[in-house]
Amino acid sequence: MNNYQVDLTNCDKEPIHIPGKIQSQGFLIAVDIQSYQVTYVSDNISAYVETSAGVLLNLHVSVLAEHVPAFPSSLDFEQLFKLGRSQDSFDLINPYKVLIGDSPFYLIIYTSGAEYVMEFEPITLDFDIQNLIGRSVSRILATHSLSDLLGNAALEVKQLIEYDRVMIYKFHDDGHGEVVAEVKNEELEPFFGLHYPASDIPQQARNLYKANLTRIIADVHSEDSRILTYEGKENLDLTHSGLRAVSPIHIQYLRNMGVDSSFSISLLSKGELWGLIACHNYTPRFIDYKAREGAKMIGNILSSALEYRQTEEDGEKDEVIKDAVQSLSTYLEKDVDLIAALTKQEVTLLQVTGAQGVAICFENEMYTVGETPPMELIEDLFGWLRRNMQDSVYHTSQLPEVYRAAAPIAAQASGILACMLSKEMGELVVWFKPEQLKTIHWAGNPEKNMEPAPDGTMVLSPRHSFESWAQLVKNTSAKWTAVEITAVLRLREKILYAVNKKASEIRILNERLKMAYEELDTFSYTVSHDLRTPLTTIKSYTELFLAQNTSLDDKGKMMLDRVVSGADKMTFLISEILKLARVGRSDIDFSKINMSSLINGIVEEVTFAQKSAHVDVQIGDCPELSGDQTLLSQAFTNIIGNAVKYSAKSENPKVSINGTVGEEEIIYSIRDNGIGIDINHHDKVFELFKRMENVKDYEGTGVGLAIVKRILEKHHGRIWFDSELGTGTVFYMAFKK
Amino acid sequence: MTSPDIFYVEDDQDFAFILEHAVKEVDETLTLSVMEDGRDAIARLEDYAREKMRPRLILLDLNLPGLSGLDILKRIKEIPFLRHTPVILFSTSDDPADVRASYEFGANAYLTKPSGYNNLIDCLKSLHDFWFTKNKSIN
Repeated sequence: MNNYQVDLTNCDKEPIHIPGKIQSQGFLIAVDIQSYQVTYVSDNISAYVETSAGVLLNLHVSVLAEHVPAFPSSLDFEQLFKLGRSQDSFDLINPYKVLIGDSPFYLIIYTSGAEYVMEFEPITLDFDIQNLIGRSVSRILATHSLSDLLGNAALEVKQLIEYDRVMIYKFHDDGHGEVVAEVKNEELEPFFGLHYPASDIPQQARNLYKANLTRIIADVHSEDSRILTYEGKENLDLTHSGLRAVSPIHIQYLRNMGVDSSFSISLLSKGELWGLIACHNYTPRFIDYKAREGAKMIGNILSSALEYRQTEEDGEKDEVIKDAVQSLSTYLEKDVDLIAALTKQEVTLLQVTGAQGVAICFENEMYTVGETPPMELIEDLFGWLRRNMQDSVYHTSQLPEVYRAAAPIAAQASGILACMLSKEMGELVVWFKPEQLKTIHWAGNPEKNMEPAPDGTMVLSPRHSFESWAQLVKNTSAKWTAVEITAVLRLREKILYAVNKKASEIRILNERLKMAYEELDTFSYTVSHDLRTPLTTIKSYTELFLAQNTSLDDKGKMMLDRVVSGADKMTFLISEILKLARVGRSDIDFSKINMSSLINGIVEEVTFAQKSAHVDVQIGDCPELSGDQTLLSQAFTNIIGNAVKYSAKSENPKVSINGTVGEEEIIYSIRDNGIGIDINHHDKVFELFKRMENVKDYEGTGVGLAIVKRILEKHHGRIWFDSELGTGTVFYMAFKK
Repeated sequence: MTSPDIFYVEDDQDFAFILEHAVKEVDETLTLSVMEDGRDAIARLEDYAREKMRPRLILLDLNLPGLSGLDILKRIKEIPFLRHTPVILFSTSDDPADVRASYEFGANAYLTKPSGYNNLIDCLKSLHDFWFTKNKSIN
């Protein structure tokens, strides 16, 4: 337990509403409601009238005047009580003007438990204060902003009570206070912006502030007066008193601060103590009852204005946020690019909360708006969130306390509000709030309220020093409000909707593409097929013509031969395209293929067709494959055919074919010592109609490898190669087991 | 009415023309009759069957307008008198699906139309050699 808490606990125990004493600027008499007999009298009555407290105790109220000659004969207490009882309140009577001797007094009556309490205090104000207050109120309400409202109220109160310093003191959520407005005499040190620890105003004092809206401490140096009563009778409850004596701790506190008189007006918002108008005077200064009531009225009006303005300002902020969500959802509907919609428009993700920065990770890319930590640290944070987030939204205003690694980014990211878009994809949005109060200026060190008593024990003591003491509040941002969180949840829905819509659009597009692809296959199949017939006709007639016209000269023959060879080339090309189209069109009929016999057959066919018996073809292991007989045959024919074709002109041409069984795949390699493939054209090799520079002298269409690739794709397999120009090539074909 | 040595159903007049020449080139004595339409072809074949005549070889183009070569093949196999006459499907297509279907319906052979006159002559020579010289027993 630290000192701070000891202080708070002890102070909280002090029964400040029943001190058994009053301040000495007035005196008090209380009578029993039933018997009208005097039950309490303040000891200091003798300072005001010629009598003593002891004499008056137990007297009936009707005979009080007989024992107090200074009371005017017209003063009929019974009559006043009767009136108050019939009205159920003394509001209409208070304050009741009484001349005691030659001095004007106010009599203020209120009920406390079983007693009517009568407090007498001097009248010091010789003019009617009502008009003054009316004007004050209209000046206070003339402003619009909250801070102006507070400033004006302080100014008006100062003019009304003429104290040296008037402050508006606001309680924060944790109970500590801050001076949010101040009007003071020029020579005084400003307190504006200073923070005061919660223990300065203990809980029961706060309760009294709520029950009794003004509180005057007329002179911290004056002696309190005891209240006499019967032996054994409890102390009078002075909650509603204007004279209640002050806790010695508080008196000490004020003395330490150099204050002689203090006056405060409670400010309530939605039934809770929002703050105080705290007034200090550096010489003793009593405030007349009517002036206090006037100040109370200003407090009341300020309270309701505060409540209204606060609601209004919160409302405005809420509106901005709601509008932002609306704008973003409109962008999302219009823009297919989700990131552009969320970050590139007039309204961005940033406006959805009161954050300073925001980062979004979408489709493995990170985007930021506003002030955010450096990218690599964001990445770490996102990683941590992905591992730890349970719900779709997570927020904290003290990130570095929960996530140590965030310490270096506390400046921009003490507060985060994270919203998971997709846990599987690791897509999320995180808003950042900066460290809010870099420094709190305390009026004195709140943790040094203990001092040693003469007997050596530690006792609590009000502070002596009110020197500004700066405390660094670390790793804390402004809190995330319910409105911000709701807005983020709403935005999340909109984003997810947009993402889903986009996903289904892509699916549709994919379907269309597939259909177009199939159509193209059908088209090329039909076209190629139909082209064959007229081509055959051209060639046939040409050959027939040549056959029947033996008289044709050599030049004529040569030209017609060219027609025939042109037609041949075209026929070959068309048949290749047909093959390619057929791969796309056919459904794969998976069966176990005996690769050994397939490859042996292919090698025989290829070497025969290419007249390449001199090529040494070595067939190694040929593990069984699962696939389509025709298509696999086509693929191997192409690859082996190429190997033979491009190595046929090498010295000691050699082709070796081997299959190995791996963990997941069966990989066939076809190695040759042929012309090789230029590695620069690596990616072009499998493209349709692409032929490498070094194969100009070889027959080919540039379709073969495209067919092979397509066949492999159909089999969910892969194809790749290693090659070196002039040395040879190895093609690899991998099939899933 | 006499039946020809080769009964050919072909809608492509050019190809039919070339083939006629090629047939004469292979063996001048061979007779050839060409029908362009599947329906007419079947009617003619039925006439032959009634008259107890049969061609020595039937060549069917696969892709015909109206009835296809496969349809005609099916009908031929339904005519008892012609059931054993050799039928060869003759097409530009080399689609394995077509080849398979043809054999399933009882074709004796499936030939991809050779490209060009010279190839055609080679092709017909071997046909002639096989069906008319070596396999005389069939007819």
